[in-house]
Amino acid sequence: MQLRHSFTELRQGLRRNISMHIAVVLTLFVSLTLVGLGALLNQQAVKAADQWGSELQITVYLCRDGDDNPACLSEVTDPQKQQIASVVEDNPEVADWYTESKAQAFEKVKELFGPERFEGPDAALTADDMAESVWITLEDPDEYEGIVSALRGLPGVARIQDLRDVVGPILSSIDALKYGAIGTAAFLVLAALLLVANTIRLAALARRKEIGIMRLVGASTLYIALPFLMEALVTAFLGVALAAGALAAFLKFGIIDRAAQGLTFMPWIGWDDYYVTLIGIGILGPVLTLLPTLLLTRKYIKV
Amino acid sequence: MIRFEKVSKTYPGPGKPALDNVSIDIEKGEFVFLVGTSGSGKSTALRLVLRESRPTSGRVYVAGKEVNRLAGWKVPRLRRQIGTVFQDFRLLQSKTVSENVAFALQVIGKPKSEIDRVVPSTLELVGLEGKGDRLPDELSGGEQQRVAIARAFVNRPMILIADEPTGNLDPTTSAGIMKLLGRINETGTTVLMATHDEYVVDQMQKRVVELDHGRVTRDEARGGYGSQVV
Repeated sequence: MQLRHSFTELRQGLRRNISMHIAVVLTLFVSLTLVGLGALLNQQAVKAADQWGSELQITVYLCRDGDDNPACLSEVTDPQKQQIASVVEDNPEVADWYTESKAQAFEKVKELFGPERFEGPDAALTADDMAESVWITLEDPDEYEGIVSALRGLPGVARIQDLRDVVGPILSSIDALKYGAIGTAAFLVLAALLLVANTIRLAALARRKEIGIMRLVGASTLYIALPFLMEALVTAFLGVALAAGALAAFLKFGIIDRAAQGLTFMPWIGWDDYYVTLIGIGILGPVLTLLPTLLLTRKYIKV
Repeated sequence: MIRFEKVSKTYPGPGKPALDNVSIDIEKGEFVFLVGTSGSGKSTALRLVLRESRPTSGRVYVAGKEVNRLAGWKVPRLRRQIGTVFQDFRLLQSKTVSENVAFALQVIGKPKSEIDRVVPSTLELVGLEGKGDRLPDELSGGEQQRVAIARAFVNRPMILIADEPTGNLDPTTSAGIMKLLGRINETGTTVLMATHDEYVVDQMQKRVVELDHGRVTRDEARGGYGSQVV
């Protein structure tokens, strides 16, 4: 197939309809950025939940030597642990549970703050400073009072932390941002689809004479549609490129250089998550422009 | 080459059929005029040959193939065997004469070397040698129609369909165009021409098929525009 004509048409089409193409590129840019933002925030929520456990979990910290809680007279004993375990096991509100040893808790801290501060003779903390804990996943996040009251005051229990109190507000904020971004993106995606459809209609109208002649002399549908498809790909590429730049700027200046520096207790998204998001919008962008183009070119240039 | 077998075509909405039980058989290399008043069904018949539309009933065969049963993706291949000329020329005003003719070959993927070879010889055939670099609006009506014929013939189609090709031209220019179509017909190309132009039909003395309200009312081997019904 000779593509010279298609490329000439592509060049002319882009030039002839420049204002519409700019509108499509900008709409795609903003909508893909918001979709990408939603995906990154989702990753952020997943990371936070992985670190702290899901919202449904409550954590029971067991007594350690020299615990702040006056009820803790010494390190939790094995019989106390067995009693706590049986209370947890027998409670109908509990879906799942596991224990976290001092060593496991220490590993988590090292991972979060970096291992160098916890090694050598001047280590800020050692595994012995950590408390053993029981992580409980509830059947129903609203049915937690039974297990909390059963455990509270039990010998060997230092404190009970309902993770929803800590993580809840942060996760809610991230969720609100995520859904806000995705919701706005949905409207913009619709706008982008309609804009692409309008652009195709205008372009088909501007080229109706050429298209009519092409059909008469026996050009294939693909050949006639090719300039339209290439225009769709060019606008998608530009939209994706701009969105990729905006998301990279958000990650670098908003997260890595700012949020991650200020709120070090929280795990933050990084470039790996960015690349996954990039693949997503790299697929979504062309789909958003090619889909209406394919549907409408079938309608307007039907052989 | 072209055969209509009991073809009827009814467009949506009330009214009589555009074609009503039409049967015509056109042999390879024939020159056939399709005559009749406006609304007699001439253009509908041409559209059916090009598979621009399908008959409501009956069969249309072009080059041995039943076109109404042709798969959509095979239609472009059919049209490459048919050259088409219209009353309004349908030239691309932004392209030169050569580019207009070359366009028909480019869009069906012919190599540049072939285009460069065939376009000048076709322009010469239609009497436009030396005018390849002109734009359509720099040409007379007759010359523009010659460009349209060159474009229709450049791919050496088996069939040439002409819908009122002399409708916008004065008698002298029309005669030139008819002479050209006659020469193309002599190369073995089947020509089917719909026309109102009494003068050219009378002059050419070729086969005439007359349509009236969608029915064939005359099919005369060497007829004029207004010959008696046979």
